[in-house]
Amino acid sequence: MADEAEQQPSTNTVEEPLDLIRLSLDERIYVKMRNDRELRGRLHAYDQHLNMILGDVEETVTTVEIDEETYEELYKSTKRNIPMLFVRGDGVVLVAPPLRVG
Amino acid sequence: MVVNSIRERTIAENSMVVLLQGLQGEVTTVDLRDESSARGLVLNVDAFMNIRLKDVLFLDRRGQTAQLQDLFITGRNVRYVHIPDHVNIMKTMESQLAKIHRVRNFAGGGRKEFGGRKK
Repeated sequence: MADEAEQQPSTNTVEEPLDLIRLSLDERIYVKMRNDRELRGRLHAYDQHLNMILGDVEETVTTVEIDEETYEELYKSTKRNIPMLFVRGDGVVLVAPPLRVG
Repeated sequence: MVVNSIRERTIAENSMVVLLQGLQGEVTTVDLRDESSARGLVLNVDAFMNIRLKDVLFLDRRGQTAQLQDLFITGRNVRYVHIPDHVNIMKTMESQLAKIHRVRNFAGGGRKEFGGRKK
């Protein structure tokens, strides 16, 4: 939160959904965004709009191509790495601990 | 460097836009909602995340580049802002908040932002 520099959060209990995100500060998280994007990175800061600062982030963009003859769906994903990213909150759909495969 | 409107100051100090305001003077890349991106010097960021950039390399959705002297991006159209490696996030936010508080306390006899106490 922007004011955390001046005052510590007054309670350690989880009272509202944003508190759940507070528990993930400085941890790696998974963020699902609009337009078939996903981010995996370390959460450094967030605010009530879900604007976030993520460090060491990997962005995955998934696209579907449809083969015109066979109508097969071909899923492609493009990844890129960014060292430090400010994310505008209105693009965020959900925030979760990183997904474990298998 | 601090905005003049009281409303904007309050909106800014309660969200993380203050970090972007502290990036004024830095060269950064802004990724827009429509998949285009703009890399340039940040001139100004307001409380609504509207961004003004100077000497911009603009990459549109199709990958075509354009050189622009001045670019204004509406806050709603911002998807990401790349933070330069050398920027210290906590220090930048703290110094921006300090500037806001200094302006608010300036000329204590002037108009009070939060109506004074009744004696």
